[in-house]
Amino acid sequence: MKKLLLFLLMMSFPGALSSQITDQQLLQQPGDDWLHYNGSYNSQRNSQLNQISSSNVGSLVSKWAFHVASGAPMQSVPVVVNGVMYFTQPNSLYAIDGRSGRLIWEYHHPLAKVKDREGPQRGAAVYKDRVYFTTTDDYLFALNASTGNVVFQVKIAETDEGFSSPPAPFIAKGKVIVGVAPGDRGLNGFLEAYDADTGTKLWHWDTIPKPGEPGSETWPGDSWKHAGGATWMTGSYDPELNLYFLGLGNPSPDFNGDVRMGDNLYTECMVALDLDTGKLKWYFQFTPHDTMDWDGAETPVLVDTLFEGKQRKLLVQADRNGFYYVLDRETGKFLHGVPFVKQLNWASGLTPEGRPIRVPGIEPSLKGTKICPSSIGAANWMSPAYNPDTKLFYVVALEGCGLATKNTETFRPGGFQYRAGGDVLLRDSSWKVYVRALELTTGKLVWEQERVGSMGLGGGLLSTRGGVIFSGELNGEFVALNAKSGRPIWHFNTGEPINAQPITYMAAGKQYVAIATNTTVFGFALFEPEKADDK
Amino acid sequence: MQKFWPISLAIFSILGMRFTVAQTAPPRNPVGNSASTVKAGRELFNQTCTACHGMDGGEGERAPALVGERRFFRLSESALYDVIKHGIPGTAMPAFGMPDDDIWKIVVFIRAMRSSASEIDVAGDVAHGKEVFSGKGGCAKCHMLDGKGGTIGPDLSNIGAQITLKRLKESLSEEGEIPRGYLPIKVVTKKGEQVEGVAKNIDGFSVQVLDYQNKLHLFDRQELRSLEESKTSLMPHNYDKVLTPQEYQDLLAMLSRQVTLQLHKKAEGEGEVGR
Repeated sequence: MKKLLLFLLMMSFPGALSSQITDQQLLQQPGDDWLHYNGSYNSQRNSQLNQISSSNVGSLVSKWAFHVASGAPMQSVPVVVNGVMYFTQPNSLYAIDGRSGRLIWEYHHPLAKVKDREGPQRGAAVYKDRVYFTTTDDYLFALNASTGNVVFQVKIAETDEGFSSPPAPFIAKGKVIVGVAPGDRGLNGFLEAYDADTGTKLWHWDTIPKPGEPGSETWPGDSWKHAGGATWMTGSYDPELNLYFLGLGNPSPDFNGDVRMGDNLYTECMVALDLDTGKLKWYFQFTPHDTMDWDGAETPVLVDTLFEGKQRKLLVQADRNGFYYVLDRETGKFLHGVPFVKQLNWASGLTPEGRPIRVPGIEPSLKGTKICPSSIGAANWMSPAYNPDTKLFYVVALEGCGLATKNTETFRPGGFQYRAGGDVLLRDSSWKVYVRALELTTGKLVWEQERVGSMGLGGGLLSTRGGVIFSGELNGEFVALNAKSGRPIWHFNTGEPINAQPITYMAAGKQYVAIATNTTVFGFALFEPEKADDK
Repeated sequence: MQKFWPISLAIFSILGMRFTVAQTAPPRNPVGNSASTVKAGRELFNQTCTACHGMDGGEGERAPALVGERRFFRLSESALYDVIKHGIPGTAMPAFGMPDDDIWKIVVFIRAMRSSASEIDVAGDVAHGKEVFSGKGGCAKCHMLDGKGGTIGPDLSNIGAQITLKRLKESLSEEGEIPRGYLPIKVVTKKGEQVEGVAKNIDGFSVQVLDYQNKLHLFDRQELRSLEESKTSLMPHNYDKVLTPQEYQDLLAMLSRQVTLQLHKKAEGEGEVGR
């Protein structure tokens, strides 16, 4: 009888809603929830929360830790809905309680082949009552957000050819956009949009034009066939313009440009695609004919502000090639560009159109050429942040050079590396990692904080209305910086490398900051003594 | 230098012997895995092994049950063959002197008992089983198949690969332990809010509840006035009675075929001979 009553209770709310994420919510700046890889469509990573501020962050304490057994070092950025946190490890998705760090459910996608385990996985996306992620063997999964039940799975690329899918999916207007990383294997990148409800493919856009298409003239002979242009990352979106912005990966082979003389469109371009059709609206190429693996995949940050006396829709990006760019995102017009690292020897500046003025001879050679930045780049996929209060753009910058060589390696099918060269990283005393704050419209350096002892970039940045920048270092330190001065005002040694970006959210009236280290997600909040026994 | 030569030779010989042992191929099953072999193996088993391991290896009084979950389970054909052929020193398990083919038939039967439901050709009308699932059985109210159905119970899209046929039958017809993540629970907060559902997780300090409207609730236990755990599962365990024998069989046949990916069983020490 009891079961019958329960059954009737369950059936009496056939249309009852679960935690539905609406299109309207996805348009908001990050507040109680953290709904996107970069917090919001403009990718500013600037939270409205200010319970944790520059004046009280000193009493931040670790509230919980969630350890993920084995797997690759985590590069995942969690998303949080109503206190429930979703994050990924390659081929796994976890839902945990954002207050206690306790597991709610986990989903593991078994792989048919060990080879399919290649590549990182950088996070999940949420929409309506579902959570979406992609796997290293190129499936897009839609799971029920409350239980982890599989709603659908779609194959998006051929894993045997060498594709994987690292980015967190992007969702707007019921469309899930996914990208692939043929990386440095001589495969051509693409973007695809799927219907979030049904998993039906809506459009496909190739990053490398085919013969006869605009841009194909930048590829001699058959070089376009093994050309690169990976879609490594999650992009940004302007709902008014209905444009999706994404920076594309390097051309193939990475280090020997002799077999692909030309600009090699649309590699290392910022592209603006119509969200509904996938049609290219404009492009801007950071490094035409790159030979240093400088993917243009760094996060585009969208800001509406005055530029030279005129209100403009800007897109700014600190590129792996060492220049900071300010573009008009309605047209793709170059507005301004300056180096944001001191060690930059391959270009003497940018033309009025934003094209680099190359220094002759600074390119990979048979004997080796010192090139700055190194192939790791002055910046990389670690997310930057922008704070409208300080009007500063915050970025993780690497000062360092490489000794670059090239060779005549040719393409081999089956997912083999196709780099035709490489560089020796010159890790001398000048090799340093910084968090830098740049004036948004000029790129002028306002402050910098050295990540002392870090030999790699580490994790990205989070800005908050509390005037705090959170920063995860490769040496394991999770640090709070004063957003105005860059002064470190709190730190916590997590005990292992950080390669991901922090987030913040509110649960039951308390602001939390979370960061994934290589194997553990930590949740922090302000110290509050346990309530005394009330008996 | 010269005088060490014989020692070197000896070491070399020992290494060589070890190498030879490691190269010995495990014994291979010559009798196949057909249904008739399983049947023959079952007859042999129930003539020979039940005194210790019980009928169908299920309830041993003097030796472990051969079904269920155990550490250091012998899973592979060769590991099972080895233990029947040679026994386990220091235990009551003797070396059996029966013909090799009979040993292999018993091996095949033991593996069939333990195999997932999908590995057994369960008779029944699968299409009709699906109708029972979403119709008279009411299963789809709580369970998903291929992305469709309820969410309060486990997703059954891969159930054929996950559990044995025996376990599948028990789930449909016998009360049992409530699986983790499905404990029915009722909590009342100090503010008077009442939530009923299943506990996805629970410890001494917090509880995570999925309610019957598919909404998650996260509680610190300090916020709760009461927390009531149900003793019984939401899952009815009387399908063998409320369904006709044909409906029940068709439902079983359908569920046993739900496989999205074959999982590989693993146990610690698999492949080791136990001696």
